[in-house]
Amino acid sequence: MSRRSRAAVARSAGGDRTLTTVLGLVLVAASVLALLVGFGVFGSFRAQRPVIDPLIVEWASAHATAARWIAIGIGVVLFLIGLWWTLRSLRPEPRPDVSLSELPGERLTVEHAAICDAVRHDAELIDGVSRARARLVGTPQKPALRLSLTLVEGTDVRDVWADLDGRVLARAREAFAVSALPTAVRLELDATSAPTPARVQ
Amino acid sequence: MRLLLRVLAPLLGLLLAVVGLAVVVETVTLWVSPTSSPLIVPWPTWLAAAEGLTWQSGSVRAAAVVVGIVGLFVLILGLVARRHDVFLADPVPEVTVTTSPRSIARAVGHEVRAHDEVVSASVVASAKKVTVKAATLDPAEEVRATLRDLVETTLARLPLARRPRVAVSVTTTKGVK
Repeated sequence: MSRRSRAAVARSAGGDRTLTTVLGLVLVAASVLALLVGFGVFGSFRAQRPVIDPLIVEWASAHATAARWIAIGIGVVLFLIGLWWTLRSLRPEPRPDVSLSELPGERLTVEHAAICDAVRHDAELIDGVSRARARLVGTPQKPALRLSLTLVEGTDVRDVWADLDGRVLARAREAFAVSALPTAVRLELDATSAPTPARVQ
Repeated sequence: MRLLLRVLAPLLGLLLAVVGLAVVVETVTLWVSPTSSPLIVPWPTWLAAAEGLTWQSGSVRAAAVVVGIVGLFVLILGLVARRHDVFLADPVPEVTVTTSPRSIARAVGHEVRAHDEVVSASVVASAKKVTVKAATLDPAEEVRATLRDLVETTLARLPLARRPRVAVSVTTTKGVK
């Protein structure tokens, strides 16, 4: 299992998860801090102070320009983080075309759809595979293949592997003129089998 | 949970962006033309409402609790939205093979239900554990041993990267054989 084939298994939700977790932590920390102050953990005098603290208000009115710049800075940072996060998680996963040659005058790229149709067609010819889907992920320079295969009931997974590597992936590697093509295969087992045998007692 | 994260993540991002934009817009308005402030967000009203509150006030505590609950939900959402793929042994380097826990459960379920002595069965699978609950008309202990062997051989046929633990429980139901 290489790092690139492992990364091709599914679109990563790591960024979304990290940001969501951090946001949750910030909210929980703010809430806990407010409650602790309120219950007098940091001194019973502090618990009785107003939420809109006169000291802060005083400082802000004394240094109006600085306070405004700080507010604008916080606002800009929040805006940029939020916008970047939104665009990042709404962006569809790219379907790269593969560039076989970058030489001037001999530039050659293969369209994503053409490759995937060919691989899917090859994969559907394997014994025991009832349905196949293929797509490329990654960048045009470093593509990886994501293949999902639906197997009929009772198929031996090892036979499918042998065919897959020997025919489908070998041809894809040959077409790309690469020695190794990182590939993630997702198997759906027994999905299109006949219904469970009827039991007559 | 992954679907929920997929839907909520952009919305949370949008919320952050809107809050940031509102802060910038209101601050700039207050600075440039104080007469037209507040522009959109009625923050002076909020300030007036929070004027007399101390950290001990009930409403401050209530707000803190609400924020805490929302934060906990967001935190848990971020933590549990992981994938549950079951990894198979790699046939060749550069190739990663996975399957879904549901596929494993389906494969095991077919084998178990096809067994003559089993009346009904349910299977729950994950990468670490396969749990089979079956009902039979025969003495439970014998069927349990047979089923365990059956599940083990079924799993052995799949080249799983790590063999899950198998837990089989069998109950005898009343009925005519």
